Amino acid sequence: MSLTRRVFVISAAAASVLPAVKAFATVDDATQAVGKILGNQKAKAGRVTLEIPPLVENGNLVTMKVAVESPMTQADYVRAIHIVAEGNPLPNVVSFYLSHRAGLAAITTRIRLGDSQRVRAIAQMSDGSFWQGDAATLVTLAACTEV
Amino acid sequence: MSVVVSVVTVSRAASPGAERQSSYALMSADTKAMQDDPLLNPATFAVLDGQALWQESAGKKNRSCATCHGDASTSMKGVAASFPKFNSAKGSLVNLEGQINDCRVTHQEAAPLAFESKPLLSLSTFVATQSKGMPITVERNAANATSLDAGQHLFNQRMGQLNLSCAQCHAERAGQKLAGNPIPQAHPTAYPIYRLEWQAVGSLQRRLRNCLTGVRAEPYALGSKELLELELFLAWRARGMLLETPGVRP
Amino acid sequence: MPTTAKKGEILEIRIIVQHDMESGFRHTETGQRVPRDIIRDFLCVYNGVEVFRVELHPAMGANPLIIFSTVATESGTLEFKWSGDNGYASSTSSKLTVT
Repeated sequence: MSLTRRVFVISAAAASVLPAVKAFATVDDATQAVGKILGNQKAKAGRVTLEIPPLVENGNLVTMKVAVESPMTQADYVRAIHIVAEGNPLPNVVSFYLSHRAGLAAITTRIRLGDSQRVRAIAQMSDGSFWQGDAATLVTLAACTEV
Repeated sequence: MSVVVSVVTVSRAASPGAERQSSYALMSADTKAMQDDPLLNPATFAVLDGQALWQESAGKKNRSCATCHGDASTSMKGVAASFPKFNSAKGSLVNLEGQINDCRVTHQEAAPLAFESKPLLSLSTFVATQSKGMPITVERNAANATSLDAGQHLFNQRMGQLNLSCAQCHAERAGQKLAGNPIPQAHPTAYPIYRLEWQAVGSLQRRLRNCLTGVRAEPYALGSKELLELELFLAWRARGMLLETPGVRP
Repeated sequence: MPTTAKKGEILEIRIIVQHDMESGFRHTETGQRVPRDIIRDFLCVYNGVEVFRVELHPAMGANPLIIFSTVATESGTLEFKWSGDNGYASSTSSKLTVT
């Protein structure tokens, strides 16, 4: 068998595995999603820390931790934290709604990331202000396509 | 004209040695943590489901696994680490899933569970985890010798459109990278595993079928003689290594 | 989560639920889309008061794990409720003694 024929067969098989739908959103979709959250306000950078491993072995289950600096008292607490992904088919990942009862504004969960991308965390405070943080990550895939 | 007789190469990883390594060692800290903590390990649900099924009566005999085997943490200790075995009465190899089905059919008079089905995987994960931390005890014996040789032959045989053998990647190039990912030595120390790629628990045979698809070979059917022979060879090759079930792998 | 706590202590709660979280972006071997089937909401209710809520989207991983915290205010029951597509609903609870 010639090398060229073998190469052609490999790439044809790989192509048939790609889904027919738009695989990834654009940064614009994420910006729109963030816009919906913010309304006509702006988010200030700071107070929000988003931790995602910088290199991910498989995007199907990525551990993510978000923490917001806040006294979490009845007068001053984090009302909500929204996670938005810039490179997933849908930009919204998860939204957390808290109150002063939380004690700490720190949440860990596991998310799906479809591609290497920047993930953003937008926090809304009890006074209505918005703060944001983000994390960029490289998502690798298994070497052989699987079923 | 000389006749070329196929030469069986003894794979370098055939003898137990300090340089054997579980693919656990190649994972990121995050994935290792996922395996180590039962609350974070997605396969824990399979263990719990298996624990429930162990107690469930089934078949015409209306018996559960517990009816004969009692408490699995005692009766099943070391069992998974000894499979696959050659069943002389049947005249064929049996892996853990096969043994579970044999028990169902013979002693419970229930229908066998489909390969890769949730109930079968839950039961085999539950049974295998009773051997967690124990060494694999598959040794060469008179009964399994022919099958073991066949499995070794398959491991070393070039297959598929890519014309690659298991040995070429997993013995000769283990530790090197393929498409950016480190190539493991391919020891079945953690099966059944929760593979992040599958987003589900799966057996070694599922993984082997994917390896075959990876080299563009027609994958052997689940439960086939060839997959059982490969399982036997891989277990023998990993003898002495400790079982980690339930494993998490990317 | 712990079963006893001092008043005012911040408790860490780790909860995981068995659910495939079918994103709606996967395809079968024959190319058909597997329809979306996810958990959409999680609620933690402490003695009848909502103390934590989550809106889940398809990008949440299978078998959702959430680690969050709540202040131990009084003895009682914490209820954890999940609801989602196709009428999915599941709940569990945990008793807490606060001294």
